[in-house]
Amino acid sequence: MDSFFYLVIFAGAVAGASTGLLGVYIVGMRMPFIGTCISHAAMAGTIFAVVAHLNPSAGAIAASVITSISLAAIRPEKSRLDTNVGLAILFSLMLGLTFLGMGLVRGSRSEVLSLLWGSILFVQTKTAVTITIMTLILVVFTIVFNKEMKVLLFSRSIAAATGVHESFVYCLFLALCGVILAVNLKLIGGLMIFSLITNPAAAAYQICRGHKSAVFTATLFGMLSAVIGFMVSYYLDLPSGACIVVVSTMFFGACALYRTARKRAD
Amino acid sequence: MKGSCLNLSGTQVKRSGRTILDIDNLRISSGEFIGIIGANGAGKTTLLKLCCGLIKPSRGTIEFDNTDLAAMSIWSKSNLRKRIGYIPQATEYNSELPFTLREVVAMGRTSVKPLLSRLNRDDYEHIDYWIDKLGLTSRRNQTFRTLSGGEQQKALLARAMSQTPAVLMLDEPCSNLDFNWKYQITDIIDELYQSATGGHITVLMVSHETGLLPANCNRIILLREGRILADDVPEKVLKSDAIEEAYQCRIETVEIDGRKYTISKRYSNS
Repeated sequence: MDSFFYLVIFAGAVAGASTGLLGVYIVGMRMPFIGTCISHAAMAGTIFAVVAHLNPSAGAIAASVITSISLAAIRPEKSRLDTNVGLAILFSLMLGLTFLGMGLVRGSRSEVLSLLWGSILFVQTKTAVTITIMTLILVVFTIVFNKEMKVLLFSRSIAAATGVHESFVYCLFLALCGVILAVNLKLIGGLMIFSLITNPAAAAYQICRGHKSAVFTATLFGMLSAVIGFMVSYYLDLPSGACIVVVSTMFFGACALYRTARKRAD
Repeated sequence: MKGSCLNLSGTQVKRSGRTILDIDNLRISSGEFIGIIGANGAGKTTLLKLCCGLIKPSRGTIEFDNTDLAAMSIWSKSNLRKRIGYIPQATEYNSELPFTLREVVAMGRTSVKPLLSRLNRDDYEHIDYWIDKLGLTSRRNQTFRTLSGGEQQKALLARAMSQTPAVLMLDEPCSNLDFNWKYQITDIIDELYQSATGGHITVLMVSHETGLLPANCNRIILLREGRILADDVPEKVLKSDAIEEAYQCRIETVEIDGRKYTISKRYSNS
């Protein structure tokens, strides 16, 4: 294997780990659709940055953060809107803006289209470093706000009613979500990010006992999905993104089967 | 005279132009055990959520410990709410996550600890005290989702108590439980109220069934269409014409072991 692929494997492992970890909270809060929504916001941000001759990455991050934070406006107690319905509305807006922006782009659209599928094989050291830094920030966030995030996962109503600084922590989390998804997008693409957020976390929730165990398991599953998926694609000469998605789904399938078997044994 | 804990004055909550709660004046003193009853849609849960600041009034004021909630910043309001132990209805918490019972009870300590701090040994001793006190010792490391409905409710009570609350707000804590568990849970609530430090915990309990209000419940607020129809000691409220008006049926009250049960009978059509 060419030494360049070590960078690809490293970047894939870090991206898989960060989306797996993020997924524990996103799936736990029952809003897995946020991945697709924010990735389209990042695409819209990139396109409009290109149109306005600004930095495309900055455009992607700004649009992602604005979109994710706007979700905080949907309050479980005050709004009749379910978070997922809110996400669907935001998604449709972002999709519309993306296509609108595409119509405005003159010349090559490759930068924008690469965000849809990702380009793990063309990862640059700079991208790998950015993803690693953001993953470390996410890890620090989950350690520092561990006790608050647990209450938010369990019940935002309880968190709000009992004086946990719920709005503040939730907004911070959403902003971090926006940045992490935007930086990962370049590598794993908008279509794959949804699988890497949902499958490892959903698999961990099938078999784990305790929050800490779910966090470690989902992070590990996310990392392994990316690494194993890439290795399979390399040796069998198959599309890497598709292999990573299939592996992450297989993790979920195996965990669901294990849980069923364990229930029957009990 | 006991100090005022909650004070609602000219408080209205409107949704889509419709008034769903309209309270002229309501004063709740520290140490009271208040049962909130009324038919479906009477505004019981809305009143409870209003008291803990989960929803804002469209008009009027809510004072918590003589402090107007509307005049407070979000941050100060959060700090004030650390004194509220709240148990919502089952639909408002995610019981499918793999939290252990101890993790759920520990969430009560999260409320009283500042941001950026971690739970320490003292906190965990407090958490374990409430797990043991509510008879959940053998379930400590079991996941919350595998507990029975009654045990889950006990765990939520332990969570609320580990917060050392000044006010306990309970929204139908016995819904979806069988008879045995319903009485077990209300007995525990009664015991917690009695044994609370210096008897200074205030309890607000929403219940559909008057028989589930413990013997120590010393005041009942009867709601109908968002308004207070009666507010008095249980003996008077449950034997008043107001309760028949609220539920639109004939109601008789019998007392067994200090609990007051209501028996309803439909008005005949003739």
